[in-house]
This record gives sequence, structure tokens and C-alpha cells, in this order.
Amino acid sequence: MLAPLLQMRGIVKHFGGVHALRGVDLTVGAGEVHALLGENGAGKSTLMNVLSGVVRPDAGAIEIDGEPVAFATPADAQAAGVAMIHQELDLVPQATVTENLFLGREPRTRFRTLDRAAMRGHARELLDDIGIDLSPARTLSSLRVGEQQMVAIAKALSLEARILVMDEPTSALSDSEVERLFAIIPRLRRRGVGVVFISHRMDEIAVIADRGTVMRDGRNAGTFVVAETAPAEVIRMMVGQPIEQLFPDREPPREAVRLGVRGLTVAEHPGGGRTEPRDVDLEVRAGEVVGLAGLLGAGRTELLDALFGLAGHRLAGTVELDGAPVRLASPRDAIAAGIGYVPEDRRVSGLVMMESVAANIVLSALPTLARAGWRRASRERSAVAASIRDLHIKTASAESAVGTLSGGNQQKVVFARHLLREPRLLLLDDPTRGVDIGAKSEIYRLLAGLAAGGMAVLVASSELPELLGICDRVAVLRGGRIVTVLDGRTATQEAILAAASLEQHTTVEAG
Amino acid sequence: MSVDTTEPTAEAATKRRRFVIPERFFTLQSYVALILVFLAAIVFSPRRGGEIVFLNSENLLNIVRAVSEIGILAIGMTFVILIAGIDLSVGAILGLAATGTASLLMVHDFGVAMTILIILTIGLAFGATQGYLSARLGIQAFIVTLAGLQVARGLARIWSGGQGIALAYGDGADVAPRAFSLLNSRTFNGTVPIPALIFAGVGVIALIVVRKSVFARHVYAIGGNERAARLSGIPVTRVKVTVFAISGLLAALAGIIHAGQLNQGSPNDGMGYELDAIAAVVIGGTSLMGGVGTVSGTLAGALLLGILNNILALNNIDSNVQLLIKGVIIVAAAGIQAFRSQQK
Repeated sequence: MLAPLLQMRGIVKHFGGVHALRGVDLTVGAGEVHALLGENGAGKSTLMNVLSGVVRPDAGAIEIDGEPVAFATPADAQAAGVAMIHQELDLVPQATVTENLFLGREPRTRFRTLDRAAMRGHARELLDDIGIDLSPARTLSSLRVGEQQMVAIAKALSLEARILVMDEPTSALSDSEVERLFAIIPRLRRRGVGVVFISHRMDEIAVIADRGTVMRDGRNAGTFVVAETAPAEVIRMMVGQPIEQLFPDREPPREAVRLGVRGLTVAEHPGGGRTEPRDVDLEVRAGEVVGLAGLLGAGRTELLDALFGLAGHRLAGTVELDGAPVRLASPRDAIAAGIGYVPEDRRVSGLVMMESVAANIVLSALPTLARAGWRRASRERSAVAASIRDLHIKTASAESAVGTLSGGNQQKVVFARHLLREPRLLLLDDPTRGVDIGAKSEIYRLLAGLAAGGMAVLVASSELPELLGICDRVAVLRGGRIVTVLDGRTATQEAILAAASLEQHTTVEAG
Repeated sequence: MSVDTTEPTAEAATKRRRFVIPERFFTLQSYVALILVFLAAIVFSPRRGGEIVFLNSENLLNIVRAVSEIGILAIGMTFVILIAGIDLSVGAILGLAATGTASLLMVHDFGVAMTILIILTIGLAFGATQGYLSARLGIQAFIVTLAGLQVARGLARIWSGGQGIALAYGDGADVAPRAFSLLNSRTFNGTVPIPALIFAGVGVIALIVVRKSVFARHVYAIGGNERAARLSGIPVTRVKVTVFAISGLLAALAGIIHAGQLNQGSPNDGMGYELDAIAAVVIGGTSLMGGVGTVSGTLAGALLLGILNNILALNNIDSNVQLLIKGVIIVAAAGIQAFRSQQK
């Protein structure tokens, strides 16, 4: 039998006292799509950093086509045919697709000047090769995230990549973009490329992967053939013990209307590019969890932003909390009115990464914990300790840098910050994106507990099972408008999708 | 050097580990540097009758007096750099304040208290305006304060007609009240120079503010992640305006001290001081990217620069060589910081 394309054996890596990898094996065949799963902190990223030459292992062997290799730098790994498509793409946003494809190895003419004609021709070929329908003259930043990713893939393949590592490639994509990405995978297979596909999403793995390897605590927790394995079995491998019930039981909401929105419309931002809310009517009762569903670009984030004062003076319409109209010109206003917001991207919008867990938790509550602008250390300490205990935040200490925490625990820090202000209404934007299944379950339980305590919760999510699992009602957005509100107990994924994606071709065509 | 290629990678890993500098060193970097420079100064100090001149208490206090103006500017600059800003106008505000002080005392016959109040208000307002332009209109602080530098110098020249104004003390009109010459004197039986005392006072207040105030936490959060700070309900614009106002206020205070120490105020005073202040902050380990840094580091950085100037002067070394050495130290400090972020 032929040697597999890639074989990693007994990879060990310590960071200081931390055992990141304790002897991990990974085998990927030519033309295989191999899923790599595991909770955050299981060691997936470290393993891939070893494979791509970013991190040197303490022990273990890597073979490509049966030949032992050792990578001292990412350039070594690239030369051996390993390419990594990062979540943050290594492309120049201001440059065109063509320029990006040939960055650092631009074809020259006889006179050593840029051979633009050759670049254009080549670029077209590279894109056609894997079936990407894009104009190579476009500026990268004008492309959607998914399209940018495909450019990165085309670039990797043009560098003779034989092993392609894709780190959560779909996390920022809309459903249609995911389809386009998946459509090029058969072409990669035919070329004999081995793909390592890191993902949290079981449904995607079922569609795209041949086999999978599950990691837990820096070790192999199992390898499986996708077609023969039930998702529940994979989840069991990931968490070690079965999660009996992902979604918690809920108490019925109360009668009192907590949030009342009428005719909320936000004027276009001068910069544009966002789907602002249009004529939105919405009610959330005390103790109720309402979901916001919709395709990417349907305006979910924009609606939450507006309710948190981020639209500023562009906001029109009325917003009432417990029957009293509130002014929402800034996040300060919103927080003062009793609104909390767990934003979409905790790294960009949530956390101050270089600061401690404690500093991040008390950030919003500082003025309320202080006396006349002077901090009271003991009150801060006890508030932080209570948050860490109540939300089960796993951290070495309150003074650890927040960047050392896993994704799920970072998310809980952002939660804790807003809960310290005891909000009446909690807004959440995709609160479980990029967190592992154990932390997801904890976050669902937390939301259910808050609602049971009388808080009103408005949560946007791109994961429909999540919305159906935790929401009393689901409002479906399209083009900034709420097109329908469904009952969370009786609604189905199909019903939500139908409402979200029913495109009005006739009006578009006419316009 | 030849490396055996069959050697397992574990060996390479231990080799790499040996070069890892403990994180603690970086946080203490400026103090370590200060101690090293202090020890070097003792070694290289001239001796007079067996006594080490550098360690003479009068000399040491003189160092603090000499760095008091730069030190006060650097404290304000620390807050500005913590919010990832920069304030190029502080040297010019110092010049404007020194000129204004001399003019108000000599030409307009204002009292000392009134003069100080007016000058501090001017500095505060100047800084706040720059802060507003930068925070509210989104013009980069570099540009706003570069313009502010020009404006402050221009105002100072217009105010004094381009001339320096010398201070003469006495009673009656056209002389400055004797009380103002206190700034050029020493307290505690003629030992501690007043400017050194003011510098120490400002330093202590700043240390307390950083440790204990909500405002300082807001400053760090804005420098670390402005969007997260805004979403946490921090009044970002107000904090930024306050930071620039503090910098302007402290620059005016330094200008008043400057006029007192030199018995004059000239529109050209404080040329290039902003760069020394930035140098002290950078040597103190504060990141120009914002969010990371300490006031205590800045104080150490300012003292380090002062000791350096002092020991070179004691040895009669050309002041141009001092510039050269200062440059090397700044690059070294920044280089160590860069190494720190790479190591992470």
C-alpha cells in the first residue's frame, strides 16, 4: 500500500509547564478531506502550527509521502507543500486579486518591470482551475469573506500546496458562500490534495469530510469514518462524557412586556454596506428569550446595534423598556437604561486582550463599584470572584491575561461584564460562535437561568438548532425587516429558512 | 556553525528555551535600566577628595530639579500614549506658558496666584481643544498636535512680540512679585529645589490616579480596545478630551516652572522638549500602540535621562555626544519591547 500523503506521529509540545500536545497522531491520505475536531484548548491549533512550521515540536515525527520532514520555519513547510488558510487571511486587502495571487513572485518582463499581462492571464487560469467565478481585477477588500478565502485557496494551490489546512473556514460565511466553498472541494480531491478541515459544525463535517480525528486534552480521542458515525458519537468523543441534554428546560415567560419596539428604522450610514433595520416592530416580555434569525446580511447585528445605541442619531421610531421610552444615542445610554450587549466578535468588540480577567469583568461596572470616581479594591475583588464562580469561568486566577482563556471562557467574561450591571434586557449576537460544545451547553443554561430570573433576552444566531432550542419565539429578518415571528416550540428549521431566504426576484428584477 | 540535521527537534527546543527572557524582566525593564545607569554613573563619576561627586546629595537633588520639566511633561504624555495618542504640542505649550507667565508678571502686573491660574487654564483649554478635535472629529492626534505645536509657538511670539521677557523681582509696577522667585529656590533648609518637589508631587498624584481611579482604568481600556471600551459604556470622547487636557495642563505647569528657573520667558523655550518627554515614556516601557504602560516606568525613564545628562556633564562630555547616547538608549528600550511582543 502507498504511504499516506501526511503522517504525523507522537507529536509532543510543551509551552512552559503546559502540555499542549501529549503524543498526537494524524494521518491524511491524498484526495481526502479530514476533519479535525475538539473543544477549544484541545490542541488543534498547536497541532496545525506544528504542521505548518510555526511551532517546533518537542518530540514526534512528520512524514510526507513516507519521507520524514522537519520544519524549522513556515517557509520550510510551504516548500514541502503545506499551506494554511487562516481565519485571518494572509492577503493584502488593498491589492487586487491578481496582485495578491502573485505577491512576492510577480512575473517580470525582459526589462525587469512587472509583466501585468502575464499576471492577468495566469490569475484567470488559477481561478478557473478550481472553478472560482471572480474577476481577478477586483480589489480584495471589495470581495465577500468567502470569496477572499477562495482567493487564498487559489494562491495556496498555485504554490503547489498538497496539504491544505482550513481553520474554521465557514465561520464567517453565509450559507450560499459555504455552498460555493464546498463546491470547489471535489476539484481539490481530484488533484490529490489532502485537506485538513477544522470545524465545530457537525452538519458541515457530515457533508464534506471523509474521515475525522477528534482531539481532547492534547491527545487523540478517536478517529472515525464520517459516513459510519453518528454525530452524537463524535460529540461524546469530544467532551469525554455525554452531554445528556444540550438545551435546558425553560420556564414560560411572564406577562409584562419588557422591550417594546415600534417603527424602528435606522438611516443608512454614510459609509453604507450595512442592512439597517427598516420599520421594525418587536416585543420581548420579561423572562422571554426571543431569537433573531436571518441570512448573513439580513440585518440581525444592525438591529441589536441600534437597540444598544450604536446607531446614534440615525435611529428613528420608539423603543420602550417596561413601558417607558428610552433614549438610545450611545451605548452609555443603553447601559444606563438597563440594556446589556454581548457582541458578535469578542476579540474585536468585547475584550481588552492585554488586560486581566478581573479588569475585563469590571470594565462596565467600574463607576458603580467606585466611590466618587475612586476604585474600591475589595468591592471589585468580590464582584470578580462572584462572577468567576457563578459563570464557571475557567481561569488560573483573576489576574491572568484574558487572552490565555479558551474561547468559551472569554465569552463568559464578556457575559459577566454586562451581568454585573444587572441589565433588564440582554442582547446577544451569535454568543456561541467559535466556542466548544461544552461551553455552548453552559451558555444555554445560563441564558435559561437569566430568563427564569425575569430578564428579557434577545439573541441573534446563525445556528438554527440553537435558536429553536433556546427561544420562546423566533423573529426572522430579511433586508432589515422582520418578515415573520415564529413560535419557538413549533417552528422548524425549514420554516425559518423559507422565511429568511424567500427572495423577491420580481421586485429586484423590476428595480 | 554546523548543526547535525538528524538531531531530534527536542534539542532545538531546549536551545530556544534558553533564550527566553522571563516576562517579569520586561515589566521591570525601566527600573533595571535606571539602576544600571545609576551604577554606571557612580563608576564614571569624577571624585573630589575621595568623595564621589555624583552621589553628593546636592548633585542628586539637582538631577531631579533638572528633569522636573521633562518629567512633568512625560507624566502627561504617558496618559496620551496610553490611549494610543501622541502629543507633539507640549514643548510649544511650555514655551507659550513661560512667555505668558513672564508677560503677565512683568507687563500686566498680575499677582502670582492669578498668573498661575490664568496660565494653567490656558494650558488646560489648549489641551482640551486638541483632544476634542482628535476624539470628536477623528483627526489623528499626531496631526492635531503638530498643528497645535505651530499654533502655540505662534501665539507665544505674537504675545511677546517675538522677544524673550526677562523677569526682575521687586515691589511695585513693571517688576515681578518676589514670591515668584520661590520657584528658583530650595526648601527644607535650602536643600530640596522647589521644582523637584513639584515634580515629585505631580508624580505621586499620577501614581495614585493610575492605581486608584476609574478614569485610569478607562484610559487603559480605550488604549487596549477602543471599540470594546465604547461598548462597555465608557465615555470614550470625554476620557480622551480629559487626557489631552491633562497633558496641556501639565505642560503649562512645566512652563511656569521653566520661567521661574530661568527668570525669563521666551517663545522659543521648550523647543524639542516633546521629544524628550516621549523618550522618557518609551524608555519607561509604555507601548506606543496604547493600553500598556505605567507612570512609574515613565518616572524611571525621566530620571534615567537626567542621570545620563548629569554624568556626561560632570565629565565635561560634549552635549552632542549626549544626544547620540540618548538615541542609542531609546532604540535599545524600544528594541527590548519589540522582542517582548515577538516572544509572546
